[in-house]
Amino acid sequence: MIALGTIQINPDTGFIEARKKLLLIGEQLTGDPIVATRLATAASQFCRVLARESSAPAISLGLGSDRFSQSLVLEFESPEPMSVPATLSGFFDDIETPPPQNNMHVVKVTKNLRGHTNRSDQDIARLRSIVERKGRDELVSELQVRNRELQESFENLQRTTSAKERMQSELNIGRDIQMSMLPVQFPAFPNRKEFDVYATLHPAREVGGDFYDFFLIDEDRFCFCVGDVSGKGVGAALFMALTKTLIKSRASNDFSPASILTHVNDEVGRNNDSCMFVTIWVGILDLKTGILAYTNAGHNPPYIKRANGELVRLDARHGPVVGAMDGMVYGEDDVTVGKGDMALLYTDGVTEAMDPNQHLYDESRLVQVMEARDFSSGQDLVQATVDDVWRFQSDAEQADDITVLAVQFFGQPEAAPVHLLEVKIPNHLDEIDTVNAAFNAFAEEKGLKKRVRRKINLVFDELLNNIVTYAHDDDRDHTIEVKVELSADRLAVTVIDDGKPFNPFLLAAPDTGQSVEEREVGGLGVHLVRNVMDEMSYHRRTDRNVVILIKHLEPSART
Amino acid sequence: MNITTTEVEGITIAAFEGNLDTNTAPDAEERLGELLEKGVTKILVDFTTLDYISSAGLRVLLVTTKRLGGTGGSMRICGLNETVDEVFEISGFSTIFSVFKSRDEALEGF
Repeated sequence: MIALGTIQINPDTGFIEARKKLLLIGEQLTGDPIVATRLATAASQFCRVLARESSAPAISLGLGSDRFSQSLVLEFESPEPMSVPATLSGFFDDIETPPPQNNMHVVKVTKNLRGHTNRSDQDIARLRSIVERKGRDELVSELQVRNRELQESFENLQRTTSAKERMQSELNIGRDIQMSMLPVQFPAFPNRKEFDVYATLHPAREVGGDFYDFFLIDEDRFCFCVGDVSGKGVGAALFMALTKTLIKSRASNDFSPASILTHVNDEVGRNNDSCMFVTIWVGILDLKTGILAYTNAGHNPPYIKRANGELVRLDARHGPVVGAMDGMVYGEDDVTVGKGDMALLYTDGVTEAMDPNQHLYDESRLVQVMEARDFSSGQDLVQATVDDVWRFQSDAEQADDITVLAVQFFGQPEAAPVHLLEVKIPNHLDEIDTVNAAFNAFAEEKGLKKRVRRKINLVFDELLNNIVTYAHDDDRDHTIEVKVELSADRLAVTVIDDGKPFNPFLLAAPDTGQSVEEREVGGLGVHLVRNVMDEMSYHRRTDRNVVILIKHLEPSART
Repeated sequence: MNITTTEVEGITIAAFEGNLDTNTAPDAEERLGELLEKGVTKILVDFTTLDYISSAGLRVLLVTTKRLGGTGGSMRICGLNETVDEVFEISGFSTIFSVFKSRDEALEGF
C-alpha cells in the first residue's frame, strides 16, 4: 500500500477541511467529480461525528492495489471506540473494524478505483500534497456552499439519470421491437410483375410507434397498410406488434379491409387497459382487376398518383382509430388503379415535420412533391418525399417517426378480361329467379356453356333458398348480394347475406346410399353445391356471411 | 316450368320443361299429387326438356315416389341432361330411382 498521509480533524472546522481534501483527492484519483463528491460526503459525515465525539480523530489515506485495480483506503482513527455509520457502506466497497492497537481504534474503508491501475510518482506526489495542504478558512464557507450545490446537483443528476436511463433503455427496446417487425427487403416480390412496393420508416429519437406492412394474401390479392400507434416505448411497440400480427392473421382468410379492421379493433379494444390506440390505413389490391379496396381508421388520407400525372386524394374515412372502442363496424371504399398508377401512404411524421422555425411541413408541400414530376418507381416517389422532408426539416430535430410507403400497379401481364355481374335482391324466394335470369343473360352474352351455366343456377337456388329460409329470425327486409366474376379460367360466385353466422360447409354430408324409404333431402342442397363446384369458402366478415365458390373452367367451357 | 302429361298404354308420362327448383317445386309437387289422387300408378317423369334440378326438385321426386310406393305404384325417370344426371349421381338418386336414357327405353317393360 502506498501511504498518502494523514489528515487531522480538528473539533471545529476540521471535518470541512477533511471534506475539501477528500474531494480533491477523489477528483485527482478518478477524474470524476461525482465520485469525488460521494467520497467526500460519505467520509466527511463520519468525520463530523468524529469531530464531535472523538478527542483526537484523524484519517490516514493510502492507495492499495492488486493486479487489476487500485483502491483508496481510508483509516479513521480515534482513541475512543467508534460506531460505524451506515452512510459509509453506501459508498465504500469494504468496511473493516480491526481490533484496536495501541489504544487506537480504527475503521478501515476501501473504495475500488476501477480502471485505474498505474499512478506516476508525480500523481502520488500531488495526492500527498493535497493531504498535507494547510486549510484556508476563507475558502471554507465558499466550499461549503459549493459542496452543498454540488451534492444537490449530483443527487438531482442521479435521480434524473436513472429515470432517464430507464426511459431511454425502454425506448430503445421498443424501437428494436418496432424495427424488427418491418419487412425491409426490397424488391419485396421480385417475381411479381403486376406490382411493386417500397417503404421506409425513419424512427424519431423518442416519440413514435409507426409501422407498415405488406404481404400477398393469395395469388391475386396484395394487402398493404400503414399505422401509427399512440404512445412510445415497449408498451407502444408491443401494441404495434399485436396490431400488425392481428391484421396479417385476419387477412389470411378475409379479403375485406373493413372486416379486417372491425375484427382487429374488437380484439385490440376488448382488453385495452393501457388505452392505447392506433391509426391504420389498410388496402387490398386485387391484382387481376386493379380494384383497391381500403379502410381508413383515423389515418392520414393517402394519395393515388395516376400514370397520367393526376393526383387523387383518398378522402374516405371509415371509423375511429383502432383500439378506442370495441364493437365498431368499419366501412370500406374502393378505387380502381390502372397500369402505372401509384398509391402513396404516409404517417403524420411527414406532415407534422417541423423546420427550425417551428413551421409544419404540411400536406400541401407533399402534394407539390408528388406533382413536381413523374416517378420511375415507388422507391423513387418514397425517396423524393423523404428527401423533401429532410430538406424542410433542415437541422431541426425529427419529432416523430416518418413512414412512407408506395405501391405501384402494373396490371396483369396479359390482362385477362374479367367480366362482372352483380345482383342485389331482397330476401324473398321469388327473387332467386331474378338472380338466375340475370346470370343466364350474362352466361349467354359471355358464351358460357350450358353445362356450366346450369350448375351455377343450381348453386344459386340452393344457397339463396337456404339464406331466405334460415338466415333471418325477423320479418324485416334484408338484402342478399350476389357477385359473379368470370375470367378466362374460372368462374367465381360470391354470395353475401347479413343473416346470423352460418357456415354451410360445416354441414355433414347426407348419406346418399340410403333407400327411398330412408332418404331425406335435408342437407342435400349444400352437398350438391359442394360437389358441382371446385373450391368453396365461408367467411364471417364484419356482420355478414360471405360464401365464395369457384368453378374452374377448361377452355371448352366457353364458346 | 311446364309439366305436360300424356298417357301411353296405362303409363302417365309427365314431361318437365324448364327448371325444377325452389320456386317451381311446390307446383310440381301439386301436379304429381293430382296424378296420384286420380289413381295413377305408373308415372314416367321425362326430363328431356328439363334445364336443371335442385334439391327442392329432388325432394318432390322423393315425396312422390314414396307415396306411389305406398299404393303399389312405381315411377321411372328418363332424359336426364348432363347436369341433371350429375346431380342424380351426387345425390345418390341414380341408385334409388329407375333412370333411363330415353322415353322409349323407359316405357319398355314398364
